[in-house]
Amino acid sequence: MNVDRILKFELNKLNVHLPKRRISLKEALESTRPQVATRDGSVHRFKREELDFLAGLVPEIDRGRLQLPILIALDPKFGRGAARITGEAEVIAISQILGKKSTGGELLIYRPDVAIIRRKLPTTTQYLFMPG
Amino acid sequence: MAEAVSAVTPTRMELLKLRQRVSLAQKGHDLLREKMDALVIEFFEVLKKIGDAKSAALNQLSLAYRALSVCSAVMGTIETRQASREAKRELEIEISTRHIMGIVVPTLEVEELKRNALSRGYSLHTTSSVLDDASKEFEKALGLLVKLAELEESANAIARELEGTKRRVNALEYILIPRLKATIKFIEMRLDEMERENFSRLKRIKAMLEARE
Repeated sequence: MNVDRILKFELNKLNVHLPKRRISLKEALESTRPQVATRDGSVHRFKREELDFLAGLVPEIDRGRLQLPILIALDPKFGRGAARITGEAEVIAISQILGKKSTGGELLIYRPDVAIIRRKLPTTTQYLFMPG
Repeated sequence: MAEAVSAVTPTRMELLKLRQRVSLAQKGHDLLREKMDALVIEFFEVLKKIGDAKSAALNQLSLAYRALSVCSAVMGTIETRQASREAKRELEIEISTRHIMGIVVPTLEVEELKRNALSRGYSLHTTSSVLDDASKEFEKALGLLVKLAELEESANAIARELEGTKRRVNALEYILIPRLKATIKFIEMRLDEMERENFSRLKRIKAMLEARE
């Protein structure tokens, strides 16, 4: 049936905004035009002030490990509105913004936290939809 | 109760296919609903920013027009107009894009919006310092208006996407999934019915065979 094909197309389209390759915060800070190429062929720019803000949050040693954009993974498996942040450096940065304790390489956050993160980091974070 | 798909063959194969389709539709529905929730967060964020940017731009424009009135009073209207004709009007805006879940929203960056008196283009000899003050205020206002334009376009793009996503979520939730479930139920009932028919047929045959012996 046609509907299934449309649905599959919609699901495939959900993550086209994600970058082909993520760059580290260090690379972004050193670049004159901090940006990444996305899967749909367009370009996503990072705002300089956000990069400086992130640089102030993570220790210098972690700047090479923090990958941009930081992915906010939305997985229906966790329940409606729950999201996951992965990566040690990423978790450190996000925990500091939310005023939480960073625990390992994974952090589970909820809708109000997502709103705070997106308000503070609109260009350096991206949503990732996990099909499960 | 949703209407079952009319032209469906009540077979086990069809039942399996339909169950797969329900699972895909459910998955799609959950993901699209997550997307819709995220879009709502983004939309309200942008609306809040628009409110702040609009009031800041209006305040700044009010200051700028007041400064212009002072300038016209001090220098005279004709001289002020003449100076405005001489001023450089080019403004370099860098338009790039950022993505919010696949929606391309513009990012406008203005380089060197605030100019010094020499680079504005009008003669310093024939103008007063109040014109510099008015120009400064208008340059500030222009920066705020550029920011406001970026936010308004973002809000429009998000609203369009939100509308489409909501329509898809509703179509899945209220039409497709209930219809598929109703069809599954129909096939299950039909298969059960066929099994019962078969059972009673076999019993009847057995009874007939026993009677013949």
